Amino acid sequence: MRGGSGDILLALAVVFAPLSLASFGGGNAVLADIACQSITVHHWTSEREFADLFALSRAAPGPGSMLAALIGWKAAGVGGALVATIAFYLPGVFLVYGVARLWRRWRGSAWHAALERGLAPVAAGLLVSGGVVVLRASPGGIPVWTAAIVTTAVLLRWPRLHPLPLLLAGAALFGLAAVL
Amino acid sequence: MSQAEHESAAARGSRLAAPHPVGLGRIFLAFLRLGGTAFGGGTAGWLYREIVLRRRWIDDATFLGLLAMVQIMPGSNGVNLTVLIGRELHGVAGAAAALIGLLTAPFAIVMAIGTVYGGLGEHAVIAQMLDGVAAMVIGLTFATGLGSLARSTTDPAAWLIASATVVAIGVLRWPLLPVVAAMIPVSIALALVRRHRR
Repeated sequence: MRGGSGDILLALAVVFAPLSLASFGGGNAVLADIACQSITVHHWTSEREFADLFALSRAAPGPGSMLAALIGWKAAGVGGALVATIAFYLPGVFLVYGVARLWRRWRGSAWHAALERGLAPVAAGLLVSGGVVVLRASPGGIPVWTAAIVTTAVLLRWPRLHPLPLLLAGAALFGLAAVL
Repeated sequence: MSQAEHESAAARGSRLAAPHPVGLGRIFLAFLRLGGTAFGGGTAGWLYREIVLRRRWIDDATFLGLLAMVQIMPGSNGVNLTVLIGRELHGVAGAAAALIGLLTAPFAIVMAIGTVYGGLGEHAVIAQMLDGVAAMVIGLTFATGLGSLARSTTDPAAWLIASATVVAIGVLRWPLLPVVAAMIPVSIALALVRRHRR
């Protein structure tokens, strides 16, 4: 599978670039399609390997979709990882950058201000919705809900608290519960 | 009237804290650090805490404006938000510095872990620990949504719109795009009405 042949790199770009523009509402929207492409269509990973890579991408810091990098890496080494990452992020980046440029051109006009004020509550609502959706899909049940709500309260009370100690506490608590 | 005055004074106050150009090196390092520590996804929450609350490089209203834009556009929200914040801070070079900064550490980390060890998915304890991390990050996400709205507006209509969005998408699981397409005109109309009453 290795050897970083141009064909595999091209295939990675062709698979991941359109997914970048299809992923409304974040990278998880296209997870099913990434799985299908890399397991069934291109045989970059086995089903087991895909599950492992997904777990690994969840354990790493940064934006969730390091999954693309890992699949590219499995298919064609570090070059494959770079190609898959760039293909997965760059089309969306160019699009949003272009729209932002147009948007800023009208800064200061009355309707621009109204638009921005109107978008803010929708943005905040979508953010909270994302959390609710993930919570409902999580197999963790009541402990996960409780931990999420307690964390919310703590961070609203002390907004500048660094989340990393909270995260470590969460990992330790849940890990301990699994051992005991 | 006095509430409206208070609100616009608050808005002016938070605008003052906003943009004076930030150096590229500082942008790169801030996002490098973010990329290396933002465990568990939910990048928007991490960005909010670091860039808005701690460094005060942009204000709450600007953050929510950029967040709205990345939410209604395709692509990774965390990555696109990073690019837009970088652009806000230092134009196209700022966007590039922020993007490269954000992706460098996680890329190196997954390559390193992947090389050393593949079978992470099998371990029940690690899966449980990831659940714990996920719960905390959801808390961070909630706190970001509620906190940034509270700090950018005192308008009850804004909370109504935000709650309706959560019910439609989070609870009823209606599809994102139609809900947003319906909600945005209503929200903008309310913002306009509110402005005229002032």
